[in-house]
Order: sequence, then C-alpha cells, then structure tokens
Amino acid sequence: MIRLREFSFTYSGADKPALNRINLTIEDGQFVLITGASGGGKSTLCRCCNGLVPHFYGGRISGRAEVQGMDIVAHPPKELATKVGMVFQDPENQLVTTDVEREIAFGLENLGYPRNLIARRIEEALDTAGIANLRFARNIELSGGEKQKVAIASVLALHPEILVLDEPTSELDPQSAEEVLRLLERLNDELGLTVILIEQRLDRVVHLVDRMLVMGGGEIIADGTPREVMGGDSQGLGIGLPPVIRLMRQLRGKELALNGLPLTVKDARLQLQKVLREVKTAGFAGGGAKAEPVLNVDKLWFSYGERAVLRNINLDIGRGEFIAVMGRNASGKTTLVKQFNGLLKPTKGRVRLGGVDTRKSSVASLSRRVGYVFQNPNDHLFADSVEDEIAFSLRNRGAGETEINKAVEQMLNEFELGRYRKSYPRNLSGGEKQRVALASVLVGQPEIIVLDEPTRGMDYVLKKKLINYLDDYRQRGKTVIMVSHDVETIAECAQRVVLLSEGRVVVEGNKREVLAKALLFSPQINRLAQALSGYGVADNTLTVSEMLEQIG
Amino acid sequence: MPELSYRDRDTVIHRLSPLVKLAWGGGLVVLSLIFNHPVYILILFLSIIPMVKLAGVGREWASTLKLALWLGLSIIVINALFSYHGDHVLLAAPFRLPVVGSPVITLEAIAFGAVMALKLAVIISVFSLINLTVHPDDIMAVLLKMRLPYKSVLVTSLSTRFAPCLVEDIERISDGYRTRGVQLDSGGWFNRIKNQGKISFALLSNSLDRAVQVAEAMEARAFGSGQKRVFYKDINISRTDAATLGVGLLPLAAGIAARVLGYGDYQYYPNLTSIGFGGWGWVMPAIILLLLAAVVPLAFIKRRVELD
Repeated sequence: MIRLREFSFTYSGADKPALNRINLTIEDGQFVLITGASGGGKSTLCRCCNGLVPHFYGGRISGRAEVQGMDIVAHPPKELATKVGMVFQDPENQLVTTDVEREIAFGLENLGYPRNLIARRIEEALDTAGIANLRFARNIELSGGEKQKVAIASVLALHPEILVLDEPTSELDPQSAEEVLRLLERLNDELGLTVILIEQRLDRVVHLVDRMLVMGGGEIIADGTPREVMGGDSQGLGIGLPPVIRLMRQLRGKELALNGLPLTVKDARLQLQKVLREVKTAGFAGGGAKAEPVLNVDKLWFSYGERAVLRNINLDIGRGEFIAVMGRNASGKTTLVKQFNGLLKPTKGRVRLGGVDTRKSSVASLSRRVGYVFQNPNDHLFADSVEDEIAFSLRNRGAGETEINKAVEQMLNEFELGRYRKSYPRNLSGGEKQRVALASVLVGQPEIIVLDEPTRGMDYVLKKKLINYLDDYRQRGKTVIMVSHDVETIAECAQRVVLLSEGRVVVEGNKREVLAKALLFSPQINRLAQALSGYGVADNTLTVSEMLEQIG
Repeated sequence: MPELSYRDRDTVIHRLSPLVKLAWGGGLVVLSLIFNHPVYILILFLSIIPMVKLAGVGREWASTLKLALWLGLSIIVINALFSYHGDHVLLAAPFRLPVVGSPVITLEAIAFGAVMALKLAVIISVFSLINLTVHPDDIMAVLLKMRLPYKSVLVTSLSTRFAPCLVEDIERISDGYRTRGVQLDSGGWFNRIKNQGKISFALLSNSLDRAVQVAEAMEARAFGSGQKRVFYKDINISRTDAATLGVGLLPLAAGIAARVLGYGDYQYYPNLTSIGFGGWGWVMPAIILLLLAAVVPLAFIKRRVELD
C-alpha cells in the first residue's frame, strides 16, 4: 500500500512546490493511471514511490509518505528497490549493461543475491515479460518496445510489489506501445502487481485501469474510476478525452438514451447499436483540389552504406497542404523528411524544391524555405536566452534589427513565451522548450514546415494549441508536413497521409482513403463508424464532429 | 561498413577465455612498442592473421586496417617531411629554412615512418580483434579480477556503452544547427570554432541529462545497496584456461627477455643497417613467432576438452 498524508515536496532552488499537500492511498493490486498537464507533478509523485524523491532529487519535504509501511525519508531507493520497481520514459537511458541477461541480473547483483537465485530470477523475469527469445540479444539491437520490456523484466526480477512506470510508451510506435500495455495488464491481472502508470494517450489505457488520477499544479485535481473522472466535468483538467468518450458525452442529453460511459470502441458500438435508428448520409468527400506543387520527389532511393532505407519514392506535395507521414518505427519516415531540406541527399533520384534540386543546394540555403522541427527540442537550443534563440535564424540571414525585433515579439506572443524571454532555453520545462523550438523555426516563416513527431509525449492542452497553430499556418498558404504515430491527431488535422513501410510508400492519398477501414492506422471513431455502417453511418467518418453530424 | 562491435559467434577464438585474449593482445601491444626491428614488428603483425581468420572477423578487421593504412601513410609522409636525419637523400628542397636548414627527404626517414606505421597497424589490429571477440562486460569482469575498483570499471564500461549515443547526439545537434541556416564547414576559423563550441556545449548538456537518467535508473535497481556485490557472470579460470593464459603470456615474457638481451633493436639513422640476423640471430624471432602462434592450437585443445 502507498499512503501519502499532507505530503509536499519542493525541488531545491524552486519557489513553488512540485507536490502540494497530497493525500493519497493506493491499495495493493490496483492499476492506477496518472495523467494531467506537463509540470503537474506526475513524475515527482511517481519518484516518491521508490524514494528517488527526496533521496536522489534533493528538496524541501513536509508531511508523510509510506510505501509498504516504509517511510520514504528513512528508506532510500536502494532499500525500496525490492518493493517498488520503476520504469522510465526513455528506453535507451535506463539500460546499463550491454545484453539482456546481464541487464536483468544487474539489480540482483547489486543486492548480493547468490548466483543460483539470480539464475532462477532471470528465467522467471524473461518468461513473465515474454522476452525469453531475447535472452542473449544485445541491448543496442533491440527496438524501443523490446527495450521497455527488458526494463520491465529487469525490475520484475527484484520481485517488487509495486510497478511504477513514467510514460513508458511515449517513445514507442503504436504496436510496441500496445504490447507493453498488454504486458502491464497481465502483470496486474495475473500476478496481482500494483501498477502505477503515467500516460498522456488516454485512449490506450482507460479501459485497463481501475483508477484514474489527474494532476495539475502539484495537486490531485481528480480521482476516481475512469468513468467517474471522464464522465464528470472534465473542463479545466487539462486532459484529452478519447474520441469515443467525447462522442458519447456529446450524445448524452440528446434523444439517444445511453447507459454509462463506454471506455472502448466495442462498448460504444454495443450501446449505439441498441439506440441507433436509420441514418441517412451521403458520406464524406475523399478528394481535394490539386494544389500548386512546391516539392517534388522523383524516384528517390536512399541508402546508408549497403542498406536501402528509401526505395523508389514518388511524391508531389502542394502549397497549403497538411500532410502526415506515418509508418512503423524504422520504416523510413524521418529519412524521407530529412531529404526535404537537404539534411540527407538522394542516393538515386531527385528531390526538387520549387524546381531546385536539393543536391545542388546547401542545407543553409534550403533552410530559408523549409523549416525543420526535431523530435527532441534540445537539438534546437543553442542560445543564451529565449529571445536570442528565436532571433538566431533571422540574425544568421543578416536581417535588420527592427525586422528581427518585430518577428521575435510576434513569436513570443504567439507561443506565450514573453515571461521567459531572458531565460536560458535549456532550463525551461519540456513543453516550454518545445514551444521555443517551434518559435525558433517558424520565425523565418518558411514555405514548408516539417515536424518530426511533434506531439510525442505532449500533454493535451499543448497538443491542441500546436495543432491549431499549424492549421492556421497552413491556411496562410504554407505547407505543413508532420511525421507522427498519433492517428487521432492526424485524423483531425491532416489532409493527406503518406504511409511508409520498409522504405516504400505503401499507400498515399486523402486521409479518408488511407485512414478509413485500416486495421491499425484507423482512428477510434472510424472503427466505430465501420461497425455502424449497417445503420447508414459513412464508413469513412474519421472525427467526432463528423459522427455527430450524422447521428447527433 | 561492417559493424565493429562484439558479436557473439561460436568460434574457438570467441570461446577462448577473455583473460587469455587480453593477455595475448596486451603482450602484442607491449612488444610492438619495445621492438624496433622491422622483422620483429612484421612477425607481430603476421601473428594476428590466424586469430582473425579463426574468429571469422576478416571483413571487420580489414575495415580497421583501412583506417590504419591512412594513419600509417600520414605517419610516413609527416616523418619524411619533418625528419631530416639520414644519409640517403632522395629529394632536397632548393631553399633553406631558419634553424633546420634545407629540407630533405631521406630513405631512412621513410623507412622509420613505415615501421612506425606497421607498429600502429599491430596496435589497431589488436584493439579491433579484442573488441570483436571479447564481450565488453567480460572485459569489465577481467578488470575486476585484476582487483580494479568496481565503480571505476563500471564508469569506464558505461562510457563505452554510451559512446554510440554520443555520436548520434553530435549528428542530431549538428543537423539542428544546419537547419537553422548555419554553414558549419564554411566561414573563417573563428566562426568555425565558435560553432563547434556551441555544439560541444549542447552535447555536454545532453550528456549531463543522460548521466542523470542513467544514475536514476541504477539507483532504482539498488545500485550501491551496501551489500557485497555478486557478479552473475564471473570469469572462471579452468585448468585449461590457466594453461592457455600461461601460453598467452609467454610471448610477452620471451619478448622482454629478448629485448633485455639486446635482440630486436634496429638502427635507422644515419644509415639503415642490414635487416638480416646473421648466425643464430634468427632463432629469437622464430621463438617469438612460435610462442605467439601457440595460442591457436591451445584454443582448439580447450574446445576439445570442453566438448569431452
């Protein structure tokens, strides 16, 4: 059991508490989801569970926190390690050794367990995590999902009673994330392990958990079953409800008498099938007007050494389009978009930007026309202050100070960064850094903006603001190209989708053609629409608003 | 390009105790440093080839040899251009420089450079062979067996483990810079240094973040628990291993003895002396060659003993 009473914690040097008078009891065997806006205290709360707070991260503490009857102030992480296993967000930076077997043995070796016991625990952990086939694999060769399973196995070997996971799926593709979550469900169901999971993508997990905590400003602002939390007034919680839940909430109070809040597409389908009458719909148009081409990819091949990563890609991208590039990890998405600004040059074939061959231009000159926002905002930040960071590109181009100042002011306002103008960019929070990175690229108003996984790990409020901004940017005649796994966001904002597999374009076209009726890449609402097509619901419906148009 | 890190294979060399391979490789490196005679150095180089062949890492070794070749050529050129010793002048510059006089290229300077390049090839080959055939954690275990402090060994092992991440970081940060319009490879030297400084600073900042994350993950798994640490995969030294270890160390012992007795030396300046040995002088290099090669049949014997 975890018990916090009036527990507060303030990081050393911070003026506001990261956790403010928390009262919380988590019973053994519960599956608890913690969600909420960035900087709300989720990670700090999780780090209290195994004593990293306050032993690893110093600070001021008040109140009392106990884990399995042990006071976290009196018991450091090394003593709590056999009670609480912790898995972190980044799959790479939590693996310490070079291969799977040694990784699982690491904690047991630290505890000085005898070799025969270590051998037995390794066997158990490999089987429980379902990774016996990876036993002798090298960590460097594992996929992100496999790395997370190894991390889980390495803490399971210590026989913890509680498993705490800080956004373990945020850096994984949908299939890997699904596998990790299935493993957690099994550990909770079959072994009775208490699971505490931080997650932003609620559609992935709400049906698995017993309890949902929403945190904001260092406090627990909602606590209950997922139905209680998401069925109540969720405005101001800073969480993005899954599309089926948003749909069903909208339908409540209308003619359709619905029974409780469905947490899955299946629940929603069963409820709607009972109450739905014949719907007359003409469906949604799939095509769109042909836009003036700005980027042309012609028979593009690209190889790293002997390994072909892109194979015969042909693509035309028009002015004012919003294009999503999707595909499994390592399918060639990032390699493709890096061709657009010349970071990578074709091995064969051509990429032309407004008729100019990228092979004949430098990245610096192409950067005036193509802005590129990397996954990790840290890769963008070099300057000593936020305003210098934003001004950097313009100054580098030799723009005048008046023009620079005007553009910087505009960006500071648009991205709500005014109060941080003199701050050192790398000291900001993750969400703030992401905004600085975006502002530093968009200040040059490039014709094309390429964003690589911009919504990964982003909280709902920030994601919504970003998507609104990008949509507005597109409407100003600019082209937006976004690499993403986030099907729900793509269904809302993209016009065209390019799906890659093994370096080839498997399918490319209007989002309805690509996302509707797809098995893995279809959004929740489309999966519901497909099941309800017998009632006349258009089977290419993608969003909540489109569904409401038909049955609302 | 072939991958140059350890990959588990079922060869007699991979199955040989890491202690033996490290003793053998360490011996080669020391001998390449203490001998000057071209034939001795050539013997050291040739003794690596059967090991490479038996380990099945020929392609990977060849790619490191390419690097050695370029470095070796630079050594030869630099030595030829800046070492003006030697009586056999091949080329003399028609001008004089203050202090050093008229620059000349001599046969002796080229020969000295060539042998230095061969020494470098031996050292690079040994590191490549060890890297390709010894599991990094086994290297750590061997170092611990030598009673080096665990924390220092772990830090070294972690640095190796995260080296590829550092390379990726440099690429990403440089890309980030280039996409903001900076031309990293052009401009004056001051600008270039300034740009590289910014990249280094970002790199340092990323590395510190990573260090914190790794430390956190280690603490969460009872690192420094106060218990006496157990090593799940300890290096056990069987009798056959002890015998092979002895054989692995023999070339080093014989080489040091030979050097003390005055063998293996060679004079490059002012004139190249004969590389012949005269009389029974060839016996010593032959002994060293035999001792270096002895590890190969012993590796087969070890495998045979294990199978029996």
